[in-house]
Parts: sequence; structure tokens; C-alpha cells
Amino acid sequence: MDFLGKRIILSLVAFFAALNLDFILPRLAPGSAAEILASGSKLPAVEVALITARFGLNQPLSTQYLLYLKNVFSWPPYFGVSYQFFPQPVTQLIAYRLVWTIILVASSFFLSFAISYTLAGISSMKRGGKFEFGSVFGSIMLWSTPAFWIGMILIWIFGVWLRLLPISGNVAFNAGTGLNYDYSVLVHAILPVLTLTAVVFGQSYFILRGAAQETLKSDYVLSARARGMTERVIAFGYVLRNSLLPVISLLGYSVASLLSAVVIVEAVFGYPGIGDLIVDGVVNRDYPVLEGSFFYVTLVVILGSLLGDFLLLKLDPRLRR
Amino acid sequence: MSIVESSSKVTTRLKGSVLGALFRSRPAKLGGLLLLAFFIIIIAGTFLTPYNPYENTPDVNAPPSFAHPFGTDNVGHDLFSQVVFGAYSSMYVGLVSAIGSSIIGVVVGTLAGYYRRLEGILTGTGDIILTFPAFPLLILLGSMYPPTDELLIALLILVLWAPIARAVRSQVLSLKERPYVDSARTGGMKDRQIIVQILMPQVVSIAVAYFVLSVAAAVVLVTSLEFLGVGNPDIVSWGSILYWAQQFAFYLGDWWWVLGPGLSITLVALGFALIGFSIEEVMNPRLRV
Repeated sequence: MDFLGKRIILSLVAFFAALNLDFILPRLAPGSAAEILASGSKLPAVEVALITARFGLNQPLSTQYLLYLKNVFSWPPYFGVSYQFFPQPVTQLIAYRLVWTIILVASSFFLSFAISYTLAGISSMKRGGKFEFGSVFGSIMLWSTPAFWIGMILIWIFGVWLRLLPISGNVAFNAGTGLNYDYSVLVHAILPVLTLTAVVFGQSYFILRGAAQETLKSDYVLSARARGMTERVIAFGYVLRNSLLPVISLLGYSVASLLSAVVIVEAVFGYPGIGDLIVDGVVNRDYPVLEGSFFYVTLVVILGSLLGDFLLLKLDPRLRR
Repeated sequence: MSIVESSSKVTTRLKGSVLGALFRSRPAKLGGLLLLAFFIIIIAGTFLTPYNPYENTPDVNAPPSFAHPFGTDNVGHDLFSQVVFGAYSSMYVGLVSAIGSSIIGVVVGTLAGYYRRLEGILTGTGDIILTFPAFPLLILLGSMYPPTDELLIALLILVLWAPIARAVRSQVLSLKERPYVDSARTGGMKDRQIIVQILMPQVVSIAVAYFVLSVAAAVVLVTSLEFLGVGNPDIVSWGSILYWAQQFAFYLGDWWWVLGPGLSITLVALGFALIGFSIEEVMNPRLRV
């Protein structure tokens, strides 16, 4: 209870803070949504009045707030109708977009984890070698490169120059069905996933390497060495497995930074995920979409962080005092 | 010799070795060289380049040449002058927000590590910020108000102080258990004196490491915001150069439009990052290669 209880309370506070920010921030923005929407269309005054009435934007803020809370805590959470994709309900829009974002985020998460796991293993076999130096240097380099620039360079190399891969969207217009469709999805995901992996790889490598170096000093590694086990068995069988705890405890943090990075990656590649939706929502002052996206993104991050805490509790008996 | 005295002696000796190790570390040297070269190029470029960054020169879509080292864009802007011009606001935003978040991070981290009563609220706030998807929040806030440099600085401080506070706090947590802190307390030192005279000097190096890393992080974040068109893309900045490149360069085949500006940003951030990670590595002997 001690550890998990504390984390659950913290998650609830974070969730409530996010919920209120969700409501307050979009409404602080100058320029009402209705005016901006109408300025892009041909029907000025009539449409402004219609939209304002329809979404209760002329009600006092307190009424809007109560309405907001009531809608959020109903099932399924109701965020109204998108202004920019007018008749579409926000929840439906987000459900569709979230699938594509999850494809990107999940593949990059596992890819960057697999790469950093292997690299950390090899570099803990040979401390201080050229390999360790090279991989540390490479990950610092990737850490300091802006995500959108990596994306642009990849677009240039594979899309413009080699003409190997599509550079935008999630699937071709004429993709067809069945396997052809899956193939098109796969090909479209390659560059965004690579970009996202490059961005988050450095962070997970540093965490894993730091933990591995701590583990290398423990007695059981020394005794394994004394028993004549090969460095490879020690590195992958002993050291890395015992270095996973810090990685798991930072799961929520990793999910948060992935979801931050995915926004810009989706913008570069025109990938129709939730990040692309957020950027469009900001431009069009689409309050319902922004509220909805922040709600679901924060929910995903908090659940990821709680999942990490729960796994940690299962794996580390020291926390169960 | 009193215990406090001997502990401060240990600190000075440690500091000497930290600086020495830093000068011997290859990544730190490389980072220093990168930054030195960058500042020389920017300062020299300011005086040497004959173009105004907003001037439409007659050379349109020109590849890199003597007259235009980074080439020109689709309306004839000299990209080198634009990179030089954009460097000032990026450096200003990066340095000021890193200074601000380091100060807040050190104060909050030390207080959270030292006083048990403050720990819950301070680390709780930090954890919330760490688990909040920061970039969408920055986009939203940045697009609500006219994003001046000062607004961007405030937003970045809001996000960047939390990791610093976290690192400082864990350092203070272990430092305050040391015997010499106990003896200082029994010797009659007040909490405030212990914090200011014993604990803070020892978290300075970790704070400096995080300060340098925050400059890199801030530059990358600000450039990313400008790239998305948050703010005014018509004002020349590192991000806005690439914002326009994203619209036109691929279509026109102007590879130099993406390469020069992007490489400049990356190398500057890399220079700061190399130094920051080296300090951290030297400070944390368990990480030393």
C-alpha cells in the first residue's frame, strides 16, 4: 500500500490537474473559435451565431465548466463535436487517430528498447572500448538533433533522392485491401518510426547503461566471473536483467516523451495521428478536439506510469515492505 | 581541524579533479571546440556578411557558393545571414531559460531533499510536470499568446526545472546522511547554514551539468516550436527557416536549404550536450568509463 498507494494518489492529482488545464487553457486563447471558423468560410455572422449557440460558448464559464466535468465523467467521455471536421464527434475522431499514433509509438518504443538493450549489453562486456565510446557519442548526437530535422533528412534521402519510400500519409490512396493494404501501411510507417526511434533511443540507452554500470559492481557479477562464465553470459544473463528496474520505473516518463516527440514527427510526415490532430486543432482553435486529445494523451501517460509502478512492485520485493 | 573544515577541503580537492578530468575528457574537448567555432563564426558572420537576412537578393535558389556559403532560398534570402541572425534569439532563449530553470531546480531540489515536510508537495509537482506530455502543452500555450522570446523562456522554464530538481534532490538526500552534516548540526549550525554552506556547494557541479544540458534542450525545443509555425514564421529564426524549407525545399530540390541551417542547430546543441554529459559523467564516478 505504501508505495503503490502514494503513486495512485499522485496519479489522481496529476489527472485532475490535467483535467483543469484542459478546460482553462483553450479558453484563455484570444479569438473565439466561432469567429476563426467563420473567417475561413463564406457565411460569416449566421454561422458564428449558430456555432456559438450550439456549443454553449456564450454561457458563463462556470456553466461551461460544470458541463465539461459532467461530460468527461460520463461513459464514453463526451467532448462534443469537432469544429474543424464539423459534424464528427471528437471521441470518434480521436479513436481513429489514436490507433495510428499507437502504431508509431509502440513500434518505436520496442525498437529503441531493443537497440539500447543490445548496445548496453555489448558495451558492458567491454568497458571503455571503442564500441562503448562510439555508442555513447552516437546517442548524445541523436539526443541533440531536432526530431523534425532527422525526419526531413530521411525524407530527403529515402523519398526525394532514392525514391524508395513514401514521405507522407499513413497509407496510399490506391492501396487496395488485404495484404496490399497492410504492405502500404508498413511502408508508410517506416520513416516516421525510424525518426521517432532515433529521437528517444538516446534517453533509454543512457538509463540502461547507467543502471548496467551499477549492476556490474555487484557481488554476484564478481562471483559469476570467478566461476569462469563468459562476459556475454554475464552481460545479457545477469547484468541487463538486473538493470531493467530503472527503465521500468521511468516508463511513464518515456511514454510522456514519446508522446511529445510523436507530435512533431506526425507533423513532418503528415501522418494522421493524434499529434497531427493537435497541431491542426491549435491552428483552428478547435477546443473540443484539444480538450479531448489532451484528456486521452494524459490518460495514456498516467496509465503507462502506473503500469510501470505496478510492474516495479511485482519485480522488486524491496518495495513490498 | 574541525570536521566542517576537512569536509570543505575534500570538496575543493574533488572540484580540482572534476575540472582536471573534464579537460582530459575527449567529448568535453570536442564540445568546447564546437561551441568556440560556432561563436566565432556567428560573431564574425555578423560583421562580415553583406546581406540583410530579410533582403531578397537576385540569386534565387542558388546552391552554396562563395557569395552565399549556405545558398539561398526560393525568394533569394541568403541562408547564412539568416542562420547568423537567428542564432542571437536562439542563444538568448536557450541561455536565459537554462539559467532560470537551474536556479529554480537547485532551490526546489535542495528544499525537497532536506525538509521531509516539503518533499511530498515539491516532488509531486515535479513528477506531474515530468509525466505531462510537455510538447503539446508548449504548442498550445505558445499559440495562445503572441510568442515573444520572453513567453518562450517562461514556458521552457516551466518544463525544464523539474528534471534538475529531481537530480539535485537525490544528491541532497544522500549528502544529508553523511556524518559531517550530523556533526555540523550537533555543532550548532542552523538548517539554513547547513543548506547554504555545506549542501549547496556540493550540488553546484550537478547543477552546472544540467544547466548546460538545458541550453541544448531549450534550443531544440524552441526550434521545434518555430518549425511547427507556432509564433510568426515571417520573423527569421532557426525554426522558421526550416518551416519554409518544409514547404518549398523538397519540391524545388534545394537540399542546401535543409542542410546548412539544420546542421548548425545540431552542432550547437551537440556542443552543449557533449559538455553537459561529460560533467555529469565526471561527477558521477560510477558512470565513468
